[in-house]
Amino acid sequence: MPGVIRNTVDRLDKPSAYYQSRNKRRKYDRENEDRDAKEKTPEEPAEDPLKDATTLYVGNLSFYTTEEQIHELFAKCGEIKRLIMGLDRFNKTPCGFCFVEYYTHQDALDCMKYIGGTKLDERIIRTDLDPGFQEGRQYGRGKSGGQVRDEYREEYDEGRGGLGRAIQAERLKEEEEYGKGR
Amino acid sequence: MADYDQRPRGGRGGYNNNRKRRYRDEDDYDRRPQRRRYEEPLVVKVRKQLLAIAESPLKRVEDEVSSIAKTVCDNYEDEELRNAFYDLALQLVVEQPFKIPFVAAVVLIINTIKAEMVTEVLSRAAGRMNEKIREGEWREVKLLMKFLGGLQGILEGDGVWSVLQDLLTKAVDLQTENNEETIGPELVKIILFTIPYIMASSATDAQDKANSMVENTDIIASEPHVLQSLVDPYPGNGTDEAKAPNGVLSLLQKQLQHESTNGWEVACLPRPWKVVLESEQPDALASSPKHPLPSIVIPDVVIAGPRPLFPELYFSVYAHQDVETVPPMTDIASCLLRDSLVDTINILDFNRNATARFLIDIDCYFAPDTFVKRATPFDRLRDVEGDRSTWKPEDVAVDAVFSQLFQLPSPEHKLVYYHSVLTEACKIAPAAIAPSLGRAIRFLYRNVDSMDLELSYIFMDWFAHHLSNFGFTWKWTEWIDDVELSSLNPKKAFIEGSLDKEIRLSFAQRIKGTLPPPYQQLISEEKEKDTPDFKYNDENTPFAPEGAEMLALLKKKAPEDQIQPVIDRIHAQALDMRLADPLVVSTDVYMTTICFIGSKSLSHVLSSIERCKERLLAIGPQSPAARKQIIDSVMSYWKDQPGIGVNIVDKLLNYMILSPGSVIEWAVGQDGKRLSQAFVYEMVGSTIGKVTGRVRQVVRGMSVPTLTPEQRSTLEQTAETERKSMKDLFQLMEEPLVAWATGSKDQAIQSGDGDSNDEAMIRQWGERWLRVFRRKFAVEEAWYLAEKEKQNKRPVVEEVPAGAVENGDAAMAEAEVEV
Repeated sequence: MPGVIRNTVDRLDKPSAYYQSRNKRRKYDRENEDRDAKEKTPEEPAEDPLKDATTLYVGNLSFYTTEEQIHELFAKCGEIKRLIMGLDRFNKTPCGFCFVEYYTHQDALDCMKYIGGTKLDERIIRTDLDPGFQEGRQYGRGKSGGQVRDEYREEYDEGRGGLGRAIQAERLKEEEEYGKGR
Repeated sequence: MADYDQRPRGGRGGYNNNRKRRYRDEDDYDRRPQRRRYEEPLVVKVRKQLLAIAESPLKRVEDEVSSIAKTVCDNYEDEELRNAFYDLALQLVVEQPFKIPFVAAVVLIINTIKAEMVTEVLSRAAGRMNEKIREGEWREVKLLMKFLGGLQGILEGDGVWSVLQDLLTKAVDLQTENNEETIGPELVKIILFTIPYIMASSATDAQDKANSMVENTDIIASEPHVLQSLVDPYPGNGTDEAKAPNGVLSLLQKQLQHESTNGWEVACLPRPWKVVLESEQPDALASSPKHPLPSIVIPDVVIAGPRPLFPELYFSVYAHQDVETVPPMTDIASCLLRDSLVDTINILDFNRNATARFLIDIDCYFAPDTFVKRATPFDRLRDVEGDRSTWKPEDVAVDAVFSQLFQLPSPEHKLVYYHSVLTEACKIAPAAIAPSLGRAIRFLYRNVDSMDLELSYIFMDWFAHHLSNFGFTWKWTEWIDDVELSSLNPKKAFIEGSLDKEIRLSFAQRIKGTLPPPYQQLISEEKEKDTPDFKYNDENTPFAPEGAEMLALLKKKAPEDQIQPVIDRIHAQALDMRLADPLVVSTDVYMTTICFIGSKSLSHVLSSIERCKERLLAIGPQSPAARKQIIDSVMSYWKDQPGIGVNIVDKLLNYMILSPGSVIEWAVGQDGKRLSQAFVYEMVGSTIGKVTGRVRQVVRGMSVPTLTPEQRSTLEQTAETERKSMKDLFQLMEEPLVAWATGSKDQAIQSGDGDSNDEAMIRQWGERWLRVFRRKFAVEEAWYLAEKEKQNKRPVVEEVPAGAVENGDAAMAEAEVEV
């Protein structure tokens, strides 16, 4: 078996499929640009941007979950250096995600293992290792200002503004066009 | 973690929001033709089989064992498969301790078919063992010894016994030199836990050796370790239920002695080899070759490894029930089950789901009939007939998690890991686990008065966190009589503390809704307010006009030269009123205003502190009383949501606006009633944690092998100063705590009510605090000495790896980070 020891059960402190596939996509784009160069060095020993990550992206929060609640739970894995709430780009209100930064990489890994996938404010939350917060990333990237996932969501989610916003807008338009009580 | 992976297709977050693509995906899915069946390579298949060994109650484990052994031997020529088997077999031994007897059985069968493979297994196991002995990784050594113990039947001569003898000799040497050291007992523990695995192996001539080994370990194992009282979860005034538990070592020693008079039945360990080799092919066992055990060397100098060693006590929340749901402490099953459970839990911290699965499936990994059927209700245990087991697998598993949660001075992982294991177990098998947890909670609550204070805090913190994962439902009605008790009563303090923690994870109104009427008075209207009132809004508050003015100024971020006049005016008035320290008064106005402005959220208060940092920093050096007033102002502004106050105090410490000493004095120096409040303990605990963490960081920094002599001496000086201030801090607590504990701080005179019952309770709180912080101090000192010794023992690294110098600098830099 090659150098790295493989554990007998999966590790929970690995970056998510989302992060990895996003990286793969980027890599794929790059590879298309200069395929020849890539073919010569198939395994580039690129520095893993998450090697010393101390920041976590936290998702699936309720819009009503406060900084204090997040702090209360996440401090169980170590002192929190910084907490950045994800905000609606237009209203500047919480839109269901945040970044938690610890002082050490180990605390961030422990958080992946012990807190990701447990409940906060009675919702199962998601954690993902993050290369680090950058200004601007605190805002939702959806069309209407929140997170993209809250645009087209077909299930009603009380903690995240009901139906997806695009769907709500669509329905509103329909209602206006055909009169109420449709 | 699976929860968010299982959302319906297309609904998955924002990353797949292209509707066209989403639908096309689904179409593809539907139309997907029956793909040709994919044959996985044999090596993958064998890996999967071995990984899953004994996991399924539907398969006969003996068949699995034979099948794996046969496939591996049949494909001996396949080098990839052969190596994969060697690697995985050992990896399972050290990562999934439950499977050790089964992996050993596979090796026994292999020995009857392809004996040369066993030579390789032994050589790899011994190699790894030697490495782990050098590193002081004693747990892994123990697991490898259990594995080799299971192979004793195919070893030549003394086999594993001679290793045990060497371990014992070393342990005796160490203990003779110094009976306070902790490695010797650890080695004896390895010996004692290996013996049962030998006795359950196919070895036939082991009884005499086992008897004499157990005789020889007695001298170390039966002696309670000097540090034992330090880690007692129920110090002093325990009830019958919760009295001083036994050291694991002496318990195990007694159990082995009992086994030795009983023909070494060791009933709970599985013997998968027995069915295959004894009944199915009896001559194979006798005729298969024996192997020499490669040499295993105990070096002259042994080290303690990454974790400091402390004596282990046997802790159980189910030990005193009228029907036995866990093995009694007289039965060797209690220690054997516990040991492999605890190892499983602590090793697999990187996947709590797997851990929880193992806990639920524990009955697959021990002898059949060790337990009653899963999820048998407690009340049904009475109907179990004859001498059949009444041990509930859930109780045995949950008990082991609690033993870690309640481990003093601290368990291997962060407490929240053990919380998460219980949460997952409860999610996998709610009907089985939830009632077990209920009985555990009732036991712990009943004995909360006599529990170590640190543990009762841990209990509370877990309880609230656990409920937060399950809709905050608990049968509060059963403790209804305790609601009327004084807040100084440990049970009432537990209730109040738990509710506060629940609210912190949720919100007051929500929690109020989960409580029966008598409890609702505990959650006042003020607690439901998001923003506490600004006391200077009330004209009757002294300095109300100045407060209002300060608020207006700070709100519009007015410059310092506009603020100073207000402060001066307060000082002048305070002098007129003959108040002792005018700065105390102005500090109250200033800090309370900062709190009010920042009341919206933690980041708001942080930015308002940031803006007012200079003035705040200048207060402490001028007047210790004013510095304490900062804490007073924060905590009284947030009196109904003390968690937020504690958090702010924590940040003020980071800014060095507060000193650790000021927090300690505020907490333990003034009002004895504070000792009963969980948030005060939390505040002090985290303050002390910062200081001790700092010392550890600096001392660890000295272990970097590439430090220059100058760097080393700077670090050494820093370490000494930091250690000195740590000592001073503990000393600062000692005097007032002793006073509370002995009743010499006269509460009656101070508060004027003279309730003798209250006094007695405050004395008790004082004792409990004293115990915790004396222990913490002792643990830090022990850690320091052990770390120094380790650094001295560590061989000088000849070869300087590339980049090591940089790392040295990094460690220096890290050590200089502000606390």
